[in-house]
Amino acid sequence: MKKHGASIFRRDFIKGLAAVPLLGYFAFEFKNNIPKGIEEKSKDYKQILKIRQLEAPGAKLQRPTGNSGNRLRFGLVGHGWRGEQLLHSLGYTHPEEVEKQTVNGKYTKRFQEFLEQEDLNVEFAGVCDTFDLHAKRGVEISLNDIRPGGGKGKPKPAKIYTTYREMIESNEIDAIVISTPDHTHAQIAIDAAKAGKHVYLEKPMTHTIEEAVELRNTIKSTGVIFQLGHENRQQMSFKIARELYQKGVLGDVSMVQTYTNRNSLNGAWIRQRRFDALGNESNINWKEFLGNAPWCEFDPKRYFNWQRYSDYGTSVTGNDFSHKYDGVNQVLDLGIPEMVVAMGGQYYYKNHGDMPDVINAIFSYPQRGLTMTYDGTLKSGIYRQSHILGSEASMDVDRAIMLYKDGYSERYKDIESDSADPMYYYEPNADVDAVSTATSKAYIKGGYGPTFIDGKVIDATFLHLKEWIDAIRGQGETSCNIDVGFEEAVTFNLANLAIKHNKVVRWDAEREKVIIG
Amino acid sequence: MIEIKKNRIENNYSNWQIFGLTFLRVLIGWHFLYEGLIKVFTPNWTAEFYLAGAIGPLAPLFRSLSRSESLLAFVDTLNMWGLVVIGLGLFIGLFSKPLKIAGIILLLLYYFAYPPLVGAGINTHAEGSYWIVNKNLIEIASLCVLFLFPSSHISGIDRFLSYKKSVLSSSR
Repeated sequence: MKKHGASIFRRDFIKGLAAVPLLGYFAFEFKNNIPKGIEEKSKDYKQILKIRQLEAPGAKLQRPTGNSGNRLRFGLVGHGWRGEQLLHSLGYTHPEEVEKQTVNGKYTKRFQEFLEQEDLNVEFAGVCDTFDLHAKRGVEISLNDIRPGGGKGKPKPAKIYTTYREMIESNEIDAIVISTPDHTHAQIAIDAAKAGKHVYLEKPMTHTIEEAVELRNTIKSTGVIFQLGHENRQQMSFKIARELYQKGVLGDVSMVQTYTNRNSLNGAWIRQRRFDALGNESNINWKEFLGNAPWCEFDPKRYFNWQRYSDYGTSVTGNDFSHKYDGVNQVLDLGIPEMVVAMGGQYYYKNHGDMPDVINAIFSYPQRGLTMTYDGTLKSGIYRQSHILGSEASMDVDRAIMLYKDGYSERYKDIESDSADPMYYYEPNADVDAVSTATSKAYIKGGYGPTFIDGKVIDATFLHLKEWIDAIRGQGETSCNIDVGFEEAVTFNLANLAIKHNKVVRWDAEREKVIIG
Repeated sequence: MIEIKKNRIENNYSNWQIFGLTFLRVLIGWHFLYEGLIKVFTPNWTAEFYLAGAIGPLAPLFRSLSRSESLLAFVDTLNMWGLVVIGLGLFIGLFSKPLKIAGIILLLLYYFAYPPLVGAGINTHAEGSYWIVNKNLIEIASLCVLFLFPSSHISGIDRFLSYKKSVLSSSR
């Protein structure tokens, strides 16, 4: 055997070790290449961005604040599509939804997650809607016990209130959630605050600037807890973006560009929802719907597509731009512009109210040395994030962040990064340390969805409502408070006034008055 | 395929065929080895975010791995050292039969963590365009070919093992 072994070694030794010299080369070169390879692969974003720490992603969720002694009874004013979404985030859903989310006798993952959502310890105690069917549907929802924290006894039906005034006078209601047409926001919120009820108000805050002033003064004087429904206040991306800006990552910001685009009838608020065909004068309280708006005869088109009419809605600016504005306002603390020019035209959906289809607005902030622009169209669905243009880097921000080095940057002159490739990237479905080049990740486009906090992916609207409820219980403060709500309402209303009057509009911050022309 | 004739290992491959198979084996070995070592040498390397971002029908499985600390530590170790051992084995042609199977399994896991299905978003920032077939799948197929047409018993350390085994059995 030894002899055989010796001969094979003699004859075929080299063949058997054919790859070994290559391994030698690998080993020799490896030690030189590995540090470079690792550096390329795992860029430390803090080093790249020249910051010491990023604190926002370390935020923790507020622990549940509910206990047996502090059950909060809330009433819902306005149970349309958004009202139903808010109820869902508060832990209440319609039996139809349970059925829809049950496949082969099992709940879908989404519904399972809903059931596992924190029980906010709230009671859906009252509902009020100018359309009877919507109010009755609210009662059906209140009776559905399949919910987070459900199954603890027979659920109590929500009481139907004919008007919001009856609801706020009731001592069976502690707080109200308002999701009514825009023109009624201020009056309901003001009356509720005066009655001592805490207020969660859907965005946009008010239909006019005068209403915004009055609402702010009322909230401040009554001391009730107020939250405006910009749920993107809970998005981690904006918190990170804010911290990055404050730490100088962007340099001097001279321009902010915001956009919204839609391209469908539904997107243009020309809608035919499920119960709309059943609406008539006998089941719609038309007078209550009109509120302080100019009188006109009952018109189901106006009632169901109220957004399209400036008597009730706040145009594309109130509906869409207000979200984008609140996003960049979170990052930059922009506040109210000094001057606004804007124009718009109703070119496509001419038979539906007086809402423009195309809008361009420029908001001037001379003291900040920057200009914000807004472009919105209802005839193109192209997606564009908000862009914050800085002297050192520019940021695309929505639910995700992409940060691009400026070609002439001083701060990043030593960073080898193409201006076309993001040097920092954040996406909401993973932890912040997942930042890397965007090439390795499927880019999550913007919109209004869940956010990532404390290691969990959570519905932003739930967090926003939770923040309000926790604040009512004395834990923390609301992030979309009356002051930032005031900035939102004044800013988008200035653009609406500029379009309406076809003139430059200025804001007199001291007197809190609009100067047209 | 292996025959011992006059104390020599005989085979049916031409010299060019042996070269081709060996070349492919070394390339794949090189790739695995480098991928493994770069992970070993990267401080605190983890597959957590790769797993957390998984897509496709098996995504929940991969995501659940990323959520368990102990499982993740195990998966990380297995992954990086698996890559190193497979890479080294293929490179020098040692234990290459079982290591090819291990390599195929590992690549299948990568493949199913980010299956190249249209609409899953995987192509958004990939350097090329992939539909069902991507480079992982091609590497899997290459390992299958190498498994069916082995070369390490000729141009690898396995030569000495297979010779020893054959001689041992023939001498009985």
